[in-house]
Amino acid sequence: MARLIRTEKEVEGRYEEVWLVVEEDALQQWPAGAREIVGQPALRVDGSERARGEAIFTADLRLNGMLHTAVLRSPYASAVVKRIDVAPALALPGVHAALGVDEIPQLASECNYEGSAVAAVCADTLAQARTALAAIVVEWEIREPLLDPDEAVRRGQFVDGGDPRLRERGDYEQGLAEADVVVTGEFRTAPVLHNSMETHQAVVQWVGETVEVHISTQYIWGIRDAVASELELPPDKVRVICHYMGGGFGSKNEPDDYTFIAAELAKRTGRPVKCALTRREDNVNAGNRNATIQRLTIGAKADGTLTALGGDFVNAVGWSGWSSSTEGPMQMLYTCPNVKTTTYGAQLNQPPMKAFRAPGFVEGTFGLEALLDQLAAKLDLDPLELRRKNYADHDAADSRPFSGKKLMECYRRAEPHWERREEVRARSTDTIKRGVGMASQIWYGGGGPPSYAWIRVGSDGRATVVTAMQDIGTGTKTAMAQIAAEELGIPLAHVTVSIGDSARGPYGAISAGSSTTPSMGPAVRAAAADAKRQIIEIAAQRYHLEERVLDLKGGQVVSADGNLSTSLAEVVGLLEDAQILGKGARGPNPTGMQVLTFGVQVAEVAVDIETGEVWVDRIAAVHDVGRVINPLGASSQIEGGIIQGVGHTLSEERLHDPRTGRILTTGLDAYKLPTIADVPEIISELVDEPDEHLTNLGSKGLGEPPIIPTAAAIANAIRDATGAEVRRLPITRAEMLRALREQQERAASERPKEKVGAPAGS
Amino acid sequence: MPETKLNINDHVYELHSPVGTTLAEALRDELTLTGTKIACGEGHCGACTVLVDGVPTLSCITLAHSVDGARVTTIEGLRDHPMIASFVRSDALQCGFCTPGQIVSAVALVEASAAPTSDEIKHAVAGNLCRCGAYPKIEEAIRTWQD
Amino acid sequence: MELRQAVDHELGGATPVHGGTEVVPLLRAGILQTDSLIDIRRVIPRGISGDRIGGGATLAELECDPQVPAALREACRLAASPQLRNMGSLAGNLLQETRCWYWRLKWPCRMHGGDECFAQDGEHREHAIFANDFCASAHPSDVAAALLALDAVLHTNRRTLPIAELYRVPSEDDRTTTTLAEGELLLEIEVPPCEGSVYLKAMDRKRWAFPLVGVAAARSGGATRIALAGVAPIPWLLQGSLDEATPLPLNAYKVDLARALVKRAEAAVTPG
Repeated sequence: MARLIRTEKEVEGRYEEVWLVVEEDALQQWPAGAREIVGQPALRVDGSERARGEAIFTADLRLNGMLHTAVLRSPYASAVVKRIDVAPALALPGVHAALGVDEIPQLASECNYEGSAVAAVCADTLAQARTALAAIVVEWEIREPLLDPDEAVRRGQFVDGGDPRLRERGDYEQGLAEADVVVTGEFRTAPVLHNSMETHQAVVQWVGETVEVHISTQYIWGIRDAVASELELPPDKVRVICHYMGGGFGSKNEPDDYTFIAAELAKRTGRPVKCALTRREDNVNAGNRNATIQRLTIGAKADGTLTALGGDFVNAVGWSGWSSSTEGPMQMLYTCPNVKTTTYGAQLNQPPMKAFRAPGFVEGTFGLEALLDQLAAKLDLDPLELRRKNYADHDAADSRPFSGKKLMECYRRAEPHWERREEVRARSTDTIKRGVGMASQIWYGGGGPPSYAWIRVGSDGRATVVTAMQDIGTGTKTAMAQIAAEELGIPLAHVTVSIGDSARGPYGAISAGSSTTPSMGPAVRAAAADAKRQIIEIAAQRYHLEERVLDLKGGQVVSADGNLSTSLAEVVGLLEDAQILGKGARGPNPTGMQVLTFGVQVAEVAVDIETGEVWVDRIAAVHDVGRVINPLGASSQIEGGIIQGVGHTLSEERLHDPRTGRILTTGLDAYKLPTIADVPEIISELVDEPDEHLTNLGSKGLGEPPIIPTAAAIANAIRDATGAEVRRLPITRAEMLRALREQQERAASERPKEKVGAPAGS
Repeated sequence: MPETKLNINDHVYELHSPVGTTLAEALRDELTLTGTKIACGEGHCGACTVLVDGVPTLSCITLAHSVDGARVTTIEGLRDHPMIASFVRSDALQCGFCTPGQIVSAVALVEASAAPTSDEIKHAVAGNLCRCGAYPKIEEAIRTWQD
Repeated sequence: MELRQAVDHELGGATPVHGGTEVVPLLRAGILQTDSLIDIRRVIPRGISGDRIGGGATLAELECDPQVPAALREACRLAASPQLRNMGSLAGNLLQETRCWYWRLKWPCRMHGGDECFAQDGEHREHAIFANDFCASAHPSDVAAALLALDAVLHTNRRTLPIAELYRVPSEDDRTTTTLAEGELLLEIEVPPCEGSVYLKAMDRKRWAFPLVGVAAARSGGATRIALAGVAPIPWLLQGSLDEATPLPLNAYKVDLARALVKRAEAAVTPG
């Protein structure tokens, strides 16, 4: 029965209260452990078409009569369009239409960040559109941009006019007073860019009263609703299509200016219109993981028991976006009675941030976990023991029990990697120092309702899962096929998954917040179970057996006594072209429980102490995300997260001109993504035990957890190798050499004391 | 201007695009061979890699008219190559947008040296960026392509 | 735009293009403007003959050729990306433009005819630590540093010159970084024999990055010549001490890097 509930919904660490219609989830979880198909490594169901270059991405669409768009964007971080004339563009060859400021809301005269769109031209070819764009006359009034996040905090200039976010439990000052040791540190993280290989783009065409939006997106339904709302259309007059998309990492959750520009130009010209960002536009305008400044304090007893955690977190958000939960790890990762954090969402004249794979937690974990190792060094405690000592067995922030937490098991499984450190250090030379570091991970990833799936079983005994979700490269499509095949007892090859079209299937969840598999998976299983029930009902009537003795296994309908074993195709074939239709919905999350993911990573590094070069040699990752559907795809997700983490840690940084705020690293020559040569050996392991309280699957998401602890684990390994304390990401040569110099100076200033034989602790 | 003919995957096409058009644009826009991707358009990422006379080449910064008389092989010309199956088998792709370029580079490597070492692989495909981070499995796919 | 095939060394005012790895992106970015391109691949020698290397040899060909001195081979191996090494020629590599982001983004800097170097008071962590008072750009060619250390001699269609004379520090009066005349083509590079050579490179990634600092050393007649990439607007022959560097506020680390690499490079080519 459908049930209306008021519930808390979490995406990327942000909560909102929503009304939801959920259906009871009557299915029991499968017992722990790998099954016939679920839990077994499965090849990507769409791997071949992607590898062969057959998959048609939005970038590859060539609709009849399609026009191409170029967008004029503010070259200034803060400026106002005093006058604009698009007429010269309209006069040029191939041009069909042009838009200037205020013609749609996304083209505004007030430009508060570089890349803010002010005009657009569509033409037969992209080259014509670009030529025409250059003919548009704009008169700018340039303003002084605000670029310093601390200055924004001083001025009280915050995104959404929001106040700083204060979160406090216990008595922080008292906790500090009780501490035997207090460590403090200021940590900085640089803005980093998503750089999905397919840039942000849409092709829009009007078909009668319906607008069709082909878009590279992580959220078909979010695009539908946003476009419908902006264009004042009934939602079902907006059809959103995305069969394949070339990466998003959080930056493609919304439609953005290019979609609305294409929609308006398509309306005016009566043609399909494509609006695609160039790589350089993408790197200015398509979102970023914002910079942070973290001023952190940890107080602890001599035995390592935490007594106080405090932090001021400045998120350099850009002009809009949100102030992500950089304080989250400090609030949630360890049990500590006294915690006080203040988080500022500094509004700056810089391009808006967007979610980027565990926003806030990647940055916050770096600061917290690096400072925790500083504490461990000061107390001469083993960093792993220090973390175990402060283990939280219920949600430290709001006292709720965890639906499932196997972090201690992760620590246990990480021990063999952690125990390598003596051997690793021993391989150091005079100039190359080696060490091992670790860091823990906490994050959301439970998913939630709503999500729906249909399953069609045809007369050939094959099944098609129909749901209007998207696969952004995470392998969700494959996981859904596995779940359906498992429940229906048919081979994986007999399941097709039809996704990617809001007009051709029910609502599917956003591919963000590590939520797709835990949101969609239970709905797919429920739909398969519904279809299975109907097939058994039919077989029972056909073969005059009781339903309770019948089951589906290996593509057969079988009876418990073994007397009946007939192919599924034979039973469903009775219906000829009619089909069995199953439907399923995602049930609610467990009430009163905190659903989170956990993990630990152990990094091994080498540091050249003369040149500051860092090699990440090996990272071992152990994560707890409940039941694993596809261990092969899961290992790829872990590797991908770690590699992005290595990039954030060592080479990636969006740089801007300090005077004008303009972005300088817009090309992939200057913005340095990791190459295959930068990749460490990666050993990944999943605890793979179902979260017994969570849905009919017990599965959580894995998209984000692996990127969270990587930077901190590397920084801690660097400290283990050299004693140097790195305090900013990325750890450039400049930062590494600075930290090494600081360490040498510290060592030099401590050495004379030893000579005069000062007692320890004096 | 004498007419330019492109030999793509053993088919000869007459080129109509103006001088200045890149090979990637000609392939994708004029011939609708969209397996070759453009991800940066500046020769920095390798998504547009094709073989020109067997050599991995950045089609997004190659002028289409400059390959007159050369043999161009795109992903569409490699669809029966065992490297494709090896990429799928090793799960060496996630979103798949860089994958055709990865495979083109990988094929050129193994045609020159059938059993490359790990270091040789890393050196030879370092110009093909993959933001999803499928690298460990790309290396595996290239190492095991003959299996 | 037109594209012609060169049949001899007369370009007729057209812009020469060889591998295209620099010319094509600059054309498309609007930094280079021309109506007429001329494909010079058929008239530039390639291949190696004795101590002469054809200017049309690709970096990929040189990186694995045992006839090539170690410093040059290693500079080729660590330069750019595999595809760029397949496409890019040795001569073209010597003539590449800076990676200065201000210049590449067409800021109206001195090298674009303006009256300011935006890097000097701006973001310059990858910029020059020598000769940076007019233009703080850093020359990105690994190969040029190697050839400068090797004291290579260049043969053009008009003259023969030591590689050091190919480059000039730009100034108010002459804002170019090479002495190549209009229509002058770099044909061959002559690399004198040496007793040992090496190229060491510090970069932000393990592959496919321009040098933060590249250090080439070559030993000949008992003396070691050291040249650096990534430290000045042109490839930089180290004649004095690194103490003479004039780093900007954000790139003093390059002096430390250079010091460490020079020490290692010297040690690597010094016998015993």
